[in-house]
Amino acid sequence: MIFSNPEIWALTLSMAIPLALPAVGGTFSERTGVVNIAMEGIMLIGAFFGVAFSYWTGNAWVGLFAAIVCGALTALALAWGAIHVSADQTVLGMGINIFAAGLTTFLLNTLFGYNGTPVNTPKLPSVSIPGLDHIPYIGVIFTNQSVLVYVGIVLIFLSHWFLFSTRLGLRMRSVGENPLAADTLGIPVWRLRYLGVVLSGVFSAIGGAYLSIGILNGFTSNMTSGRGYIALAAMIFGKWTPLGSFGAALIFGFSTALGIVLQGHGVSSNILQMIPYALTILALTGLIGRSTPPAADGIPYEPRR
Amino acid sequence: MKKGIWQSGLAIVAAAALVAGCGTNNSSSGSSNTSNSGNTGNTTSTSGKTIKVGLVTDTGGLNDNSFNHLAYVGMQEAQKQLPNIQTSVVQSQSESDYVPNLSHFAQNGYNLVIAVGYLMADAVQQVAKEYPKTHFLIIDDSITGIPNVASAIFQSQQAGYLAGVVAGMVQKDHLLKNINNHNTVGVIGGQEIPPVDSYIAGFQQGFHSVDPTGKVLVEYTNSFNDEAAGSQYAQNEISQGADIIFPVAGGAGIGSIKAAQSAKVYAIGVDTDQSYLAPGTVITSAIKRVDTSVFDTIKAVQDGTFKSGVNNFDLSNNGIGIAPLISGLPKSVTDAVNQAKQEILSGKIQVSATVQK
Repeated sequence: MIFSNPEIWALTLSMAIPLALPAVGGTFSERTGVVNIAMEGIMLIGAFFGVAFSYWTGNAWVGLFAAIVCGALTALALAWGAIHVSADQTVLGMGINIFAAGLTTFLLNTLFGYNGTPVNTPKLPSVSIPGLDHIPYIGVIFTNQSVLVYVGIVLIFLSHWFLFSTRLGLRMRSVGENPLAADTLGIPVWRLRYLGVVLSGVFSAIGGAYLSIGILNGFTSNMTSGRGYIALAAMIFGKWTPLGSFGAALIFGFSTALGIVLQGHGVSSNILQMIPYALTILALTGLIGRSTPPAADGIPYEPRR
Repeated sequence: MKKGIWQSGLAIVAAAALVAGCGTNNSSSGSSNTSNSGNTGNTTSTSGKTIKVGLVTDTGGLNDNSFNHLAYVGMQEAQKQLPNIQTSVVQSQSESDYVPNLSHFAQNGYNLVIAVGYLMADAVQQVAKEYPKTHFLIIDDSITGIPNVASAIFQSQQAGYLAGVVAGMVQKDHLLKNINNHNTVGVIGGQEIPPVDSYIAGFQQGFHSVDPTGKVLVEYTNSFNDEAAGSQYAQNEISQGADIIFPVAGGAGIGSIKAAQSAKVYAIGVDTDQSYLAPGTVITSAIKRVDTSVFDTIKAVQDGTFKSGVNNFDLSNNGIGIAPLISGLPKSVTDAVNQAKQEILSGKIQVSATVQK
């Protein structure tokens, strides 16, 4: 019945990507030892500037690029506060979330007026993978998805390889586990932490742009609707690994899709909407395997020299 | 160590400043500074006197192309047409902003505070009792028995009914191209609350009055601003054969209309004429004149004729209605809509506000 409707799998993937990308971003940040709860805010920044530049330039790819730049800049502010100034990282992250919500709404009203973003804003193309889209049953998963779905999947696998199979990835992880030891060996702790946080900004911004110019072509205030926080849960659920985060995001995406599809079968919408959050609580309480954060996560480091 | 404490203190102060500024304040009449003391006393206004009007939006915000936006339009209209009206807007970022935002205006001596939306009912009751000299208007919820609160209630089911009649005719007789043979339409509600459900109930009844065997899918996004979810819900209904989508979900509904547009099916707008969102896709819109209710109340406060309790808006006073139809529909549709209007007005048709499960 419902599971035989391939639509549910296509929905799962398209709802998982905006969770997976910021979750992978957060993984980069926390693996280098900076707690990042600002994904929600950076997603909003990415979503807004993606639409704005897409409209101003008439090219959605420029919009995506602008989203990445703005997301990286926002993350840089977080990085400066967390690394240089040793400020409380949770408070900083929350500050960025609230700031981004206000800023994007304010800019939306002042730049575009109360009719919202123009309806003729270009969006990124939706593509089908030739060959794969003709496979019966699962073909629909690869049919007419936003190009960012495929880009996102590639980025996630690349991230996993980068973090766990390259020298730079090893060094990034080392500053999140034991910055003093890494510093003693001559590894630039601050620089790698900056890299981690900025990468989290880039990934979160792509996640936001996916919502605004990937599957839609407009921005509404608070359109991320808490996805940045679910991404945080996906990161923890995924044990601070890119592939784990992707897996967790797929589970959350599936429960969202299930919520959408089951409603047509007379199940109360209020109960179905709880599924992702209930899963999050289960994940956070450690009922599904223990999640241990990087040892130096959230602890500022003063270089010894 | 000392440095560390100083710095985290700084961060907390910075964060607190951010929290304090969380409602986006758009003042169109110069300053509305909170620290301005000495101006908290209220005077009951009489005609022509300067009155200050504050608008508190729901989380959908001013750009929802829907009822928050309409309330703002009504306020702008009042500012244009009536003398000496000062206006200011605060948008709520979350439900916890309602009380502080409403109090902000009341504290600063605003004569009328407009709360847009059913979800603000509790906040309005609380704040209105604390500031008995300030007038309040709440849209979409009936608060009675508080002398300084007026409520605007819309019989949206009548607008839903008319839209349903149009959808039913298009569906049954394949009046537009690409209408499939599934005989199915889809509704997407924002939340299961009366102002949403009344539209849906009317739509179901109107649709079935024309097309008794047709199917109406009903789903709820549980969000008024998650445009992406609105789009996904619409896609799911379209995959089940729905080819007319009626979203009643504020900003989230914009995503549904866009999904209908890219799937080359049709949509029906809500609250205001939304055909500009997707020309050629939006067949018509079910209209609710929030702007009229806001305008009338501002005028009443200025004239000193403010009346507490429920003000009803329906077909008989043009408080609700239906937008012009998409071109290419035969005259029979317009005739059917007009006939349905007459029958509702004469009481021959009673439109229910309860959704059929």
